[in-house]
Amino acid sequence: MSDTLSGRLAAYLAGTLGAPDLSVHDLGRIPGGASRETYRFRARYTAEGRTVERKLILRRDPPASLIETERSTEFRAYQAFYRLGLPVPEPIALEQGVGVLERPFFIMAEVENAQAGSILAPDPYGPHREKVGRQFWNILGRIAHADPHAVGLGDIDGPTSPAHCWKHEVERWERVIDEDEDEPQPIARAAIRWLKRNPPPPAQKIAVVHGDYRSGNFLHDSDGVILAVLDWEMAHLGDPLEDLAWALDPLWAHHDPSRPAGTLPREDAISLWEEASGMKADRAALRWWEVFASLKGCAIWISAAREYATGRNDDPVNAFSGWYCLAFHNKVLADRLGAGP
Amino acid sequence: MRPEAGEILDRSADQLLGQLAPRLGESFAQGTAALLALLMKFSAREYERGAEIRARENAELRMLFARFSPALSDTDLARRLDALARTTEDSLAISALDAANKVLRRALIELHARVEEQGDLEAERAIWHVLRAMADRRAVALF
Repeated sequence: MSDTLSGRLAAYLAGTLGAPDLSVHDLGRIPGGASRETYRFRARYTAEGRTVERKLILRRDPPASLIETERSTEFRAYQAFYRLGLPVPEPIALEQGVGVLERPFFIMAEVENAQAGSILAPDPYGPHREKVGRQFWNILGRIAHADPHAVGLGDIDGPTSPAHCWKHEVERWERVIDEDEDEPQPIARAAIRWLKRNPPPPAQKIAVVHGDYRSGNFLHDSDGVILAVLDWEMAHLGDPLEDLAWALDPLWAHHDPSRPAGTLPREDAISLWEEASGMKADRAALRWWEVFASLKGCAIWISAAREYATGRNDDPVNAFSGWYCLAFHNKVLADRLGAGP
Repeated sequence: MRPEAGEILDRSADQLLGQLAPRLGESFAQGTAALLALLMKFSAREYERGAEIRARENAELRMLFARFSPALSDTDLARRLDALARTTEDSLAISALDAANKVLRRALIELHARVEEQGDLEAERAIWHVLRAMADRRAVALF
């Protein structure tokens, strides 16, 4: 399969990059989540009389995608924030048709000598925890600070007004649960009712929301320098507190919940975000978005469980998510909402 | 003495993780093998506790229905909950316990929404007490 994939990929890139002699080497699959198949490869071609070799990443839709996401939005988000100077991989090409590699895909530059911190690791950043943390929360604030229209993302999916951010998102993820729930979820349903009964104040602004900004979704080097923010597949417009709350979720810090994302103490993290975003994180509103974050997690894990149970996608990441992560977020929600009126 | 399924799963996971995964060349294959080993560990524990978790959860839900159905203003829901409260397990097979659990959970969602509408704080507290116990019992330890 790889040889076939290599040949087709080479033919596609030869046309896209205007390099007729382009060849693909060392194509191999690497871990990259269940929502896209991820491959590393080298493209070799002649440009201006010299042999060029580029290390690239292919992200292809799986046979069944975990969360139906708009891949052109993901690609455009990479383009927008790459141009803005944030650490994201250089986007190279997007193909939405199924004629080239059977499924849609996009290609971006490989970020070399980089590693991702596993959410399962007790101390994912070791001695660089503080350094990584300062960058992590600062970058999230800079994403929130960006003007969606100025960066070319003003037309991606989002609410009609700042007052509708919360409703847009609750309804979106409630629909996912409605469609994918196999066994009734009394805690998630109670959370949805609570979120609707206790809406947050309108967003301070409508911002680009990364949608899955957390530990495990960025790469850093051996000195603790963040080189790339990845996985923009759930990017949309919305309340910037949504991203902050998701990053603060205890699932990304279960070894030490006092240090969100395995980085800094919670209040330090929020301060760094506030400084970079130019906004204040209203604590009551943030609490609402944190409950929402765990509900959104439940919805994603319910989808993962369904993908696995139905045999549409037997990536064990789906089994792990549908079991461990769903149980985790059910407990978070039960503890947050069930502590007593 | 013979090995139980849980023990076989647990030790097989250790062998997969410690002996086989490192011999796989590709990082993708190594990562997948490690995750499979973790899932086998989870399954080993579930073999031991799975029936207990489900049977206890079902019993607690039936007790909730018996306790709070009489006070419901929705008589149709009250009647259905009362009937569910009187059910018992036909089988202790996981699939049978799960089938009963789905019916009971669906009814719990209805009951919870209704007592919220009625402002019945005592019933809300009791339901959350059960929901928290359910979440605690079903939580999965990583290591």
